[in-house]
Amino acid sequence: MSRSTPLPPLPQPERFELPGGCPVSVLHRQGPAILSARLWIRGGSAADPPGQRGRAQLLAGLLSRGCGELSGDQLADLVEGLGDELRCEASEDALVISLKCASDDAPALLPLLGVMVQRPWLDPDQISLERQLNLQTLGRLREDPFQQAHDQLRSHLFGQGPYGHDPLGVEAELAGLDRPQLLDAAAVLGGQGAALVLVGRPPAGLEALLQPPDSPAWSSRSASLLNGQGAQNEPGLLLEEQDTEQLVLMLGTATVPLADPRSLALRLLQCHLGVGMSSRLFVALREDHGLAYDVGVHAPARCGAAPFVFHLSSSAERAAEATTELLAEWQRLLDQPLSAEELALAIAKFRGASAAGRQTCGQIADRQAMVLGHGLGWSYADEALERAGSLDPDSLHVVARQLLSRPSLSLCGPSEALRAAGTVWGAHPLSRPSGVQALS
Amino acid sequence: MPLLPRLPLQAADSFEDPRLLRLANGVEVVSLCQEQAPLVCLDFWCQAGSAGECPGEEGVAHFLEHMVFKGSERLEAGEFDRRIESLGGSSNAATGFDDVHYHVLVPAQAVPEALELLLDLVLKPRLDPADFRMERQVVLEELAQSEDQPEEVAFQRLLALACPQHPYGRPILGTRAALKAQTPDGMAYFHSGAYRPRRCSLAVAGATDQLPIDSLLANSALAGLEPLDSARPAGPALELSPGVHELKLPRLEAARLLMAWQLPAADDQEAVAGADLLTSLLAEGRRSRLVQRLREELRLVESIDLDLNVLEAGSLALLEAVCAPEQVAAVEEQIAVVWQEICCSPPPESELERARRLVANGYRFGLESASSVAGLIGHQCLWGRLQPLRQPLELLQRWSVERLSSELLPLLAPERACRLLALPA
Repeated sequence: MSRSTPLPPLPQPERFELPGGCPVSVLHRQGPAILSARLWIRGGSAADPPGQRGRAQLLAGLLSRGCGELSGDQLADLVEGLGDELRCEASEDALVISLKCASDDAPALLPLLGVMVQRPWLDPDQISLERQLNLQTLGRLREDPFQQAHDQLRSHLFGQGPYGHDPLGVEAELAGLDRPQLLDAAAVLGGQGAALVLVGRPPAGLEALLQPPDSPAWSSRSASLLNGQGAQNEPGLLLEEQDTEQLVLMLGTATVPLADPRSLALRLLQCHLGVGMSSRLFVALREDHGLAYDVGVHAPARCGAAPFVFHLSSSAERAAEATTELLAEWQRLLDQPLSAEELALAIAKFRGASAAGRQTCGQIADRQAMVLGHGLGWSYADEALERAGSLDPDSLHVVARQLLSRPSLSLCGPSEALRAAGTVWGAHPLSRPSGVQALS
Repeated sequence: MPLLPRLPLQAADSFEDPRLLRLANGVEVVSLCQEQAPLVCLDFWCQAGSAGECPGEEGVAHFLEHMVFKGSERLEAGEFDRRIESLGGSSNAATGFDDVHYHVLVPAQAVPEALELLLDLVLKPRLDPADFRMERQVVLEELAQSEDQPEEVAFQRLLALACPQHPYGRPILGTRAALKAQTPDGMAYFHSGAYRPRRCSLAVAGATDQLPIDSLLANSALAGLEPLDSARPAGPALELSPGVHELKLPRLEAARLLMAWQLPAADDQEAVAGADLLTSLLAEGRRSRLVQRLREELRLVESIDLDLNVLEAGSLALLEAVCAPEQVAAVEEQIAVVWQEICCSPPPESELERARRLVANGYRFGLESASSVAGLIGHQCLWGRLQPLRQPLELLQRWSVERLSSELLPLLAPERACRLLALPA
C-alpha cells in the first residue's frame, strides 16, 4: 500500500493587479538568487483564425524580434549580455512569455514583458525570417515517425477545430501570413485573459518595474473559466506508411478540459497507466512482453477537450502482437475498475509528480501561470491532491467509460506492419462505430 | 567511520558546501543540503560506461543498467519501482561513455528505505536468465527506435568516423549482434569488475537537514562493498580523425552538417571552462557569432548548435547545422569564415563577458533542483574532482580573450574537424 508523504501546500503568493487588469502573483522562494516569470496569455494556436493556422506561434516568435525602443538585436544584446533567458512560445491555449534571470538583472528585464505585448515592431524583414524558420521546422518534424502518428491522430480527433493543427501551423497557410494578420493578433493579446506569475527572489519595487509610470496600461484581465467544448469522438484507423524499423502506435481520444471535474479522474488514470516504471502500460507492454522501450500516456492539460493517448513503438514484425496488447489495455480500462491498491499507488504517484514539479522556480511559475490562465485558483493543484484522496475505483471507472469508450488508432510504419495492425484493429470491438459495443 | 571535516569552502549563492564522507572501503559519499528543496535525490554513480567494455561486450554497460531494475537477490522484478513510487518517489538511470548513474527522488522521510532499496538493487542485481532474455528484447526495441530517427543515425555515424579507434565511436546501446551474444554470466562478470569501491560514488542532495546520512551509510550495502586489488586500467587515449564524409539518409527532410572537434579532457577543468566560454561565444543565443551570421544575417540555416561534451578521454565539441541541401556548401564556408574572423580579430571583451554570464547563469540555474545538484556533485566525486560550488564560476574568470585565442581557438580550426554531411536520400 502507498505510504507517500502529504505534500506541503504551496504558500499563498502576494497578489496585485496591473493598471490594465492583468493579475500578478509573486511567490518568494529561498535558494539561488534567481527569478522566473511567466506571462500566460490566453489565445494560442487554438485561436488561429481559419486560413491563418500558425499565426499565434509566428506572433510569439516576433515579440522578441523588436519591441518598444529596442530592435531585435538590441533586445538580444540586453538579455544575452546579462546571461539571461527571455522566450515567447505559443502552445495550443496560450502565448507564454518566459523570463529566467539572476535576481540582480530583474530590474532591467521585467519592464520588457509589458513592452513586448504592447509595442511589438512586427518588422517585415523579421516576419519573413521567423516565418521561414517555422516553415523549415514544420518540414523537419516530418522526419519523426512519432510526430507523423501524432499529427494524423490530432487531425482526426479535432479536424478543423482549435486543436486540429500543430501550433507551428499548416505550411500553406503559414506561408501566406504577413504583417496585417499579425497586427490583428497583437491587438487582441490579453483580451481573453492573462496571468503573470513570478517565483524566486524578486527585486524591490516590482509594481513600478512591471508598469513603468510613463507607459500605457496593458488592457487585460483575469482569465475566466471556459465551458469547454464537448468532443465528438468517432473511432477511426489512421495510417501513414514509412520505411521504418518500428511501427508507432497511438491510441487515443479527445476528453475534457482541465477545469472539468472529471479531469482529476483522468489524471489518476494517467498516473496508473503511464507514470513511472510501476505503471500498468510499462509493466504489461514492456516488462511482461518486451514489446517496446518507450511506452506511456500523453494527456496534457487543456482549456478545451484534451487528448488522452496511449503511445508506443514496437518492431514492425511484432505489429499484430503490439496492437493486440495495446487494445487489450484500453479495453481493460473500460471493463474493470482499478483495484484499491492500484488506486493508492496512482495517488502516491500523483503526489510524487506534484512534488517533483515544485523543485525549481521555473517549474512552479510554469504550472501556476497555466492554472491561473485556465481560470482556476492558485491552490487548484493542492485541492486536486486533496480531492484525489476521496475518489474511489468506481468513480474512476465511471469516468473511463464516459470519456474513453471511443478511441481511434493512429499508425506510422512499414506497409506490412500497417496491414497486420489494421487487421487486429478491425476485429476489435473498439473499432466499431458506436463505442457502446466496446463496453462489455 | 572516518569522517573528513567539512570542506572549508564557500558555496555559490545560498548553498552550503558539499560535504564529503569517505567510507572505510574507500567509497565516497557527498551530500548537500538545499533548504528550499521539497525532495531528496539519491544518485549512485559508477565508472562503468560503454568505454569500459571489452571486445564482445559492446552494449553491456547500458544493458546492465536495464537489468538492474529487474530486481536483486532480495527484490522481485518490479518491486523496487512499486515501493519507490508508493513512497511518492521516482527513479531513473542513464548510461554514458564514461559512467552510469542511477537516481531516485523521494520525500526526505522516505530516504532510509529508498537508500536501502537503491543500493540493494544496484549492487546485487539478480540477472535472472528469463528476465535477461525479455529485457534484451526491450533494448533491441530501444535500438530500433533510435535507428528510426535519421538525425540519431547521422550523429552516430559522425562519432564512428571521428573516433574510429576509440570506444566513443561505438554506440552506447551496442549492436544487435553483440547484444544477442551476451549472457547473464558475462554481464555478472562486467558488474563485479566495475561496481567496486573507488569506482563508485553516492550523492545525496535536497532536503537533507534532518537526515542521519552517516549512520545510514555506515550499515549500508555500500559500506560492505569489497575493493578490488588491482586498480582500474587507464582507458585508451582519444585521437580524433579529421576528415570529410557524406551520407545519404532516407526520411531526412533537411540536410545536416555535423562537425566534431577534440577538446581538452574533463580532468583539465580550467580548459573545460574555457571551452565552455568559447562554444557559448560561438553559438549560444541569437547574438552569438555563428547564429548571428548563419541564421539571422545570411538566413542559411534553420538552426546551428555547438555543444560541448565533456568526456574523460578527451572532450568533444559537436556542431549541427540544419539547412536546405542546396545551402550546405555556403554553410560550411561561412563556418570557416567566422572562425577565421575571430582568429584575425579577437572578439571584444564585452563579447567574452556575455559568454561568461551565459555560462555562469546556466550553472547557477542548474543548482536549483535536488536532481541536478546530486548529478553535479556525484559526478565530480566519482572522478575525484569534488570542488566548492563557486569553483566553476572562478575558473571562468581565468580566461581572457587573448588566452582563448591562443590556447583554444586553434583547436576548433575547420581542418581539425571530422565533418559529415547528411543529405536526404
